[in-house]
Amino acid sequence: MRRRLGATRGVKTVVIVDYGLGNLASVASAVAHLGHEPMVTAEPDAVARAERVILPGVGAFGDGMARLRQRGLIAALERVAIERGRPLLGICLGGQLLATESEEFGHHEGLGWLPARVVRLTPNDPTMRVPHVGWNEVRQVAPCPLFEGIADGALFYHMHGYRLEAAEDSIVVGETDYGGGFPSVVRRCNLYATQFHPEKSQRAGLALLANFLERA
Amino acid sequence: MLRRRVITVLAFHDGVLTRTKAFEPDTRYTHNLVDLWSIDEIVALDVTRPGSGERGNFLAVVRALAARCFVPLAAGGGVRSMSDAETLLGAGADKVVVNTAALDRPSFIGELARAYGAQAVVVAIDARRAGEGYEVCAAFASRPTGWYPEAWAARAQAEGAGEILITSVERDGSLAGYDLELCRRVADAVSVPVLIAGGAGNWQHFVEGITKGGADAVCTANVYHFTEASIQSAKAHLARAGIAVRA
Repeated sequence: MRRRLGATRGVKTVVIVDYGLGNLASVASAVAHLGHEPMVTAEPDAVARAERVILPGVGAFGDGMARLRQRGLIAALERVAIERGRPLLGICLGGQLLATESEEFGHHEGLGWLPARVVRLTPNDPTMRVPHVGWNEVRQVAPCPLFEGIADGALFYHMHGYRLEAAEDSIVVGETDYGGGFPSVVRRCNLYATQFHPEKSQRAGLALLANFLERA
Repeated sequence: MLRRRVITVLAFHDGVLTRTKAFEPDTRYTHNLVDLWSIDEIVALDVTRPGSGERGNFLAVVRALAARCFVPLAAGGGVRSMSDAETLLGAGADKVVVNTAALDRPSFIGELARAYGAQAVVVAIDARRAGEGYEVCAAFASRPTGWYPEAWAARAQAEGAGEILITSVERDGSLAGYDLELCRRVADAVSVPVLIAGGAGNWQHFVEGITKGGADAVCTANVYHFTEASIQSAKAHLARAGIAVRA
């Protein structure tokens, strides 16, 4: 009933996938702040039926995949994002999980929906600290609906020790430089991933999330 | 370029915002404390002594901050178990700050890092001057541990810490400036980001924390309790000194 009422007002229900990792509360707060209805759930059916999905997450890659598997969420995500083609935004680890594989704490297979792998962040200047923590510029290297109204070079909050390495340049739409550039916004069709945390990046981050909710 | 962070530390006693001097709480409050759009990050610490307040009051504060401030939030104070950490992260914190429990059992750091990722684990180190060097203290700086801060920081990193928050006990609340030598020793001993706290009284202290102390982020709490100065003016000062900050 709530959902129908929401739908008549043009408010979209946004499913935030709860797989036991990551700061779901902040993502939900940001979505609510933008006037949409966040639904935080671990229920595979609710995920499969969603109109829009956010896959957040901080933590280790192997643990993340194991949790998705244990909760029966892999098939649900495949249903909503691949079969139904609904927009999906992976944030930080959530975005990395869309890649084919990761070398974090051993070798792990990912969802395999983005032609990319996850490798350790190794700045070319050995004095640069890892993890990469803080506000850094995101260079918009290709057009993307997520960038609408956001200045090229806007600052976003990064917090990670691993990064995506794209096998196809065409999926990279945003790059961050930290002792060498790495993909920080990736898009393939309806699938989006950010390495940084838009929900922690104040105005620019909220604008990016709003773009995902309204333009993706 | 990665920006140097200006971090606001908020200390809470039983859910009430508090300033501290040499680690003793002194409850007051101030205007200009939270300059919402200029803050880079918030560290919220529960400084309630065991038995003198309700844990729930601090959790309510963490929840409220997480719901309203769209910046990273680290929370700690009294984190002794995985379930303490889970409670804070569940309330909306992005990182947990651990101190005494890690000194008592260093493997706790690794357990947290494996569960939440190293980037979510901040190891706070409180140190006092001792002879030619420094000594780490635990339990609200009441218990000497025998650790050199630089050695403990390196061990904490090896266990899985994602960031180190180094605080000088003597400088806490003094407004006399950070202990730069202490920070430099720690910054040289680790490759993870180092946050300096304790003693900032003016904006030049921020500059020194970065240029001389080697800190990646400068933390301050008490300065906002005494001055009308804002984070924006602090950042303008840092920018004039040639340090990359977020406007």
